[in-house]
Amino acid sequence: MIEDLIIYGLISGAVYSLLALGFTLIYGVADIVNMAHGAFYMLGAYMFYIFAVEYFSLEPFLAVILAVILIGFIGMIVYRVFIDPVLDDIVAIMVVTLGVALVFQQIIILHFTGSDIAINLLSGSVDILGLPVDYHRILAFVVSLVLFAVLWVFIRKSKIGGAMRAVAQDREAAMLMGINTERLYMLTMAISASFAALAGILIAAYTAANPQMWTSPLGMSFAIVVLGGLGSIKGSLVGAFIIGYAEKAVTIWTGMAYLEGATSFVVLVVVLLLKPAGLFGKRREMEE
Amino acid sequence: MVLSYFRRGYSTFTAKVIDVPPRLLSFLFFLLLLVFPLTKPSSDLLQTLAQYSTLAIFAASWDFLVGRSGQLSLGHALFFGVAAYSTGGLISHFGLPLWETIPLSVLICVLVAFLVGFPCLRVKGPYLALVTLAFPIILLTIFLGLPSDWFGAENGITGLPVFFPIEKGLGWQAQERALYQQSIAQYYLILLFLFVSSYILYKLAYSKTGIILVSILDDEVASKASGINTTKYKLMAFGISGFFAALSGCLYVHSGHTGSVGLSSLALTQSFVPIILTIFGGLGTIYGPIAGAYILMFLGEFVLHDLMLGLAGLMTDIGLVGLGQHLEWNISTWVGSGTSPGLIFIIIVIILVIKWPTGIAKSLVDKLDDLQEARELEERGKKK
Repeated sequence: MIEDLIIYGLISGAVYSLLALGFTLIYGVADIVNMAHGAFYMLGAYMFYIFAVEYFSLEPFLAVILAVILIGFIGMIVYRVFIDPVLDDIVAIMVVTLGVALVFQQIIILHFTGSDIAINLLSGSVDILGLPVDYHRILAFVVSLVLFAVLWVFIRKSKIGGAMRAVAQDREAAMLMGINTERLYMLTMAISASFAALAGILIAAYTAANPQMWTSPLGMSFAIVVLGGLGSIKGSLVGAFIIGYAEKAVTIWTGMAYLEGATSFVVLVVVLLLKPAGLFGKRREMEE
Repeated sequence: MVLSYFRRGYSTFTAKVIDVPPRLLSFLFFLLLLVFPLTKPSSDLLQTLAQYSTLAIFAASWDFLVGRSGQLSLGHALFFGVAAYSTGGLISHFGLPLWETIPLSVLICVLVAFLVGFPCLRVKGPYLALVTLAFPIILLTIFLGLPSDWFGAENGITGLPVFFPIEKGLGWQAQERALYQQSIAQYYLILLFLFVSSYILYKLAYSKTGIILVSILDDEVASKASGINTTKYKLMAFGISGFFAALSGCLYVHSGHTGSVGLSSLALTQSFVPIILTIFGGLGTIYGPIAGAYILMFLGEFVLHDLMLGLAGLMTDIGLVGLGQHLEWNISTWVGSGTSPGLIFIIIVIILVIKWPTGIAKSLVDKLDDLQEARELEERGKKK
């Protein structure tokens, strides 16, 4: 019981942090509330399926990389075509990106119908604390934490990361310093989308993929970043683990698996009503 | 005596309706809807029209909340779904008659609107959108998980009564005729509801209350400084919007030949319906979403469906048989229906938001207003 909670909560937390990181990054840098974030997650899983199973039968490792890069490009295109023209209007951004998400969903339904597909990366499992944990989950855990760390260092140390932080603080001042904000936003969007895609593949590997799978991670990303404070990277890590554990605790103690999806939404609503700024507030991380 | 009343009434009518182009337009539009059944349309078409009329009420209620008071709700399906489920639940569990459940479920829904609206006042902008988005999804998950004899889980509640039920045990022909009469009666009933609710919403939107709401939308701090209780007005907008959304939800459940409620009434696509209709017509206008509903219906039912079939035929003719068949089989995904907007409409809405945010009906009315102004100036010039 308690082992289940510790291990599965830890793994969920790690993968959710990867998912929420992209969401919080694009909000922190460009003030874009990207409703299509969940759609990138869903598309990631399906692209992997296309590359590895349906058409090209590539090596899983290669297929993951190709799918992630492709979704990065799609993210860029979505930014360029749909978000850039309405960048100043936050309502229009939300409506447009929600529309884009629905379009992706319908296209996937057109091609794959609405049924579940299974994705397989690795097989086998290992015992941890007397609990069989399959390799998919371990892979998801390790990859998520490593990538999170890589991105953290990237934002802290690299020149582009510095530019991102500068734009997050003051867009106009950053433009005056010669930062090409448009290109930077596109890059941020690409990173954000590809992280979502990777999370999609990793999670779909131990659950399943279907065209409606994007609403619950979208709500989860919202819940995590709102809990951690919109735009805060540290907050998204902490929030991810809290949500991960909360979900597992709810499903383990009530025994009702369907409550898993609603947990994050409940957390979202409660946090927004009690402490709208979240745990770490907006941009504290980026402003340091 | 009677004649003089008639004459006076007529002159007021000309002054207030005929001489104002936008009003004339909406008057003619309702007249058209009123006489439409005289052309003996098919039963299906009447049903579709009635369905879009209920959706028009739904969209107008969304427009009142979002367009007038500026509180972006991405989960308006909450009100629609709660009303639909409460009327369904009241009938199937308590056996209440249809005409009693509707006021009751509208009342329940207004309570829900206040319950939701009250905490929502603390947040605004994207946060508000997120919270409103969350509620129907939470509810949907709960309904899905409840035992199936409560709200039917994934199958929903079926076998609910409809307006103007027909007698059982009729002969085939008599039944056909009865069904047709039922469609016409429902059509007029819903049209009446649409007329009354759009009139009330329009009057409210352009009344003092509506103007105060717009002032809150423009600058909340300034409105507060002018002594307006913004909390009260924002909550009121939620309540009014919830009321009409609930009404449309109830109408939706009980129209058609069989009544049913499904989880789709709470789904995200259902929340996207009013957004599509409103953006077609024009935000913040009340008449916009209603016009949008009929534009969408016309496009979907008459133009796009045939167009897509034609395209599919063309594809097959020029040798792309696979693509043609694909189009033909998936036509409902592309064109969609009332409650599940098709791919084409979602794409059109995205383009409209980016390129033409004022909407079709709003642009038309603005044009008409310009004409009106020019004419008034001309008349004034002549008098001098």
